[in-house]
Amino acid sequence: MAQIKLQNIAHSYNANAKDKKYALKPFDMTWVDGGRYAILGPSGCGKSTMLNIMSGIVTPSEGRLLFDGVDVTEKTTSERNIAQVFQFPVIYGTMTVHDNLAFPLVCRGYDKSFIKAKVSEVAEALSLESFLTQSARKLTADQKQLISLGRGLVRDNVAAVLMDEPLTVIDPDLKFRLRRKLKEINQKYKSTLIYVTHDQNEAMTFAENIIVMDDGEIVQIGSPAELFDRPKTTFVGYFIGAPAMNFFGCEAINSNVINFNGTEIATTTDLSGVKNKDLKLGIRSEYIQFSDSIGENTILASIQSVDDWGNHKLVTADFDGNIIKIKVKRETEVPTDKVFLTLPAQHCCIYNNEILL
Amino acid sequence: MRTFYVTLKYIAVTLWSMFVIAPFLWALSTSFKDFNSVTSGATYIPWVDFEPTLEGWRVLLRSPAQGGVNIVEPYLNSIFVTCFASLISIALGTLAAYALSRFTFKAGFIRNDDITFFFISQRIMPPVVLAIPFFIMLGKLGLLDTLFGLVMVYVVLLMPIAVWIMVDFFNKVPIEIDETALIDGCNPYQAFYKVVLPNSIPGMVVAGLFCMIFGWTDFFFAFILTFTEVQLLPVAIVSLNSSITPWWSLSAAALVSVAPLIVVAFIVERYLSKGNLSGALK
Repeated sequence: MAQIKLQNIAHSYNANAKDKKYALKPFDMTWVDGGRYAILGPSGCGKSTMLNIMSGIVTPSEGRLLFDGVDVTEKTTSERNIAQVFQFPVIYGTMTVHDNLAFPLVCRGYDKSFIKAKVSEVAEALSLESFLTQSARKLTADQKQLISLGRGLVRDNVAAVLMDEPLTVIDPDLKFRLRRKLKEINQKYKSTLIYVTHDQNEAMTFAENIIVMDDGEIVQIGSPAELFDRPKTTFVGYFIGAPAMNFFGCEAINSNVINFNGTEIATTTDLSGVKNKDLKLGIRSEYIQFSDSIGENTILASIQSVDDWGNHKLVTADFDGNIIKIKVKRETEVPTDKVFLTLPAQHCCIYNNEILL
Repeated sequence: MRTFYVTLKYIAVTLWSMFVIAPFLWALSTSFKDFNSVTSGATYIPWVDFEPTLEGWRVLLRSPAQGGVNIVEPYLNSIFVTCFASLISIALGTLAAYALSRFTFKAGFIRNDDITFFFISQRIMPPVVLAIPFFIMLGKLGLLDTLFGLVMVYVVLLMPIAVWIMVDFFNKVPIEIDETALIDGCNPYQAFYKVVLPNSIPGMVVAGLFCMIFGWTDFFFAFILTFTEVQLLPVAIVSLNSSITPWWSLSAAALVSVAPLIVVAFIVERYLSKGNLSGALK
């Protein structure tokens, strides 16, 4: 276990070319020992590259990587003592489940009694103890993925367990159970877990901290609640949450009031220093409320459609050409024509050049 | 309707089996015939149509001095040359294929695919193009008419097959398995022989089967590069022929020569049916 520090790390797959293109743009980051992280972002945003840099499969073209203050940038994968679980279960098909789990310890020359004890412990934690003598090839996809994970957990002092979309091949109900198991493992072994995914639900339910990436850059690091309530960029607002955050063009009037299509909306954001008047108002569909009458921060919109999402309704309304999505409880009575919508000041996020103020 | 299709299927399989087995049965029957039974029209059933004799088989075991062609020594020679050449080809071919599959090579305009094609291109040439260079090279090395010389030539002929099959096999093996082995604590060499190699046995078995078939059945180089000291089975079988074609001993020799390949095919088939050749990795 270790604190992992990425110092000015960047990577380009054509580092020597004139038109160098970064797969991962320069950034600093520290992974706290024992933390549970998720890296979230669309395909090709640099998530896997970051993971491969930490495990040593990819050597970064710039920057340093420190494990507990020791520079490991040039060290080989095996010297780093890190575990990685890939998208598809990687098992050694010619070995038994026991031998698969024991392999990292055998490679590192541990004695037999230690290996036996450790393999039994991890097999029990992963509910694999009844399969130990079976050929690993004959197991189901999710059991194979548990073996991949188990190989990472048998080593006591592993710096971190890196997981690259490990539950892609798993059935939805099992995904839930495995995520819980991962959390238990994190609590039991106190190992740093870093989980790459493009599925926001997976990230939200698994991690204490989420790193949102886009186009080779870290856009925001925060808890699931922070990411949901105060997305640092419009990209995060679009990417996190279903439906995506509502965004509308607006204009600053004074220190904390904006003009949204002729209506004054109070916010908690200090707008006094904002020179650019061309701003964006962002608000989650969950925070918009129906009102009986006009009041502060209230607009009058016309209902366009109501979609039944099972546990709630998604209302689409039109406010002078601005399409607003509102998520309401399913028992809520939705007017058929016009509706007053209140945008609570504390939930109004203001963006200047796509960045949260 | 279903019964109809099943019946149709059985009829098709039976017809195909007869088509495949018939030449073997004919050769088996001929190997027990004598001159008269072969030349006096078609005969089928032993003891009814013709009187079976072991003469065709005895010729294969008699020395030339006794009027036979002893095929035991050529047989052993062929086994030795085919097995050794196949083993060396698989060993070298697997290493070459792994490198071509996992590392990027650049030399001018040449890339990995070009190098792979270069290996295969050795098999595109007609064998006769290679005969003279091989003859001269083996002559200079004093390896003409020796088993070692033949093994060397056969390695050159068989390795492209091994490389071709193994490159394709390794390309289908996910790179993650190598990476996982590295993460688990192997160095690159250990990752290859502890993890990748055991998982590649299915590919090596298939490549080995092809190498053995091509090596075992080669007549051309066995004929050109040997004289009196060393003889391989295909050459020995051809040398059975004389002014009167001895169909009985040729048939017996043909059956004997094809037997090892059938045995190998059965072993591989058993291996295949155990599911060992598929799903080895994921």
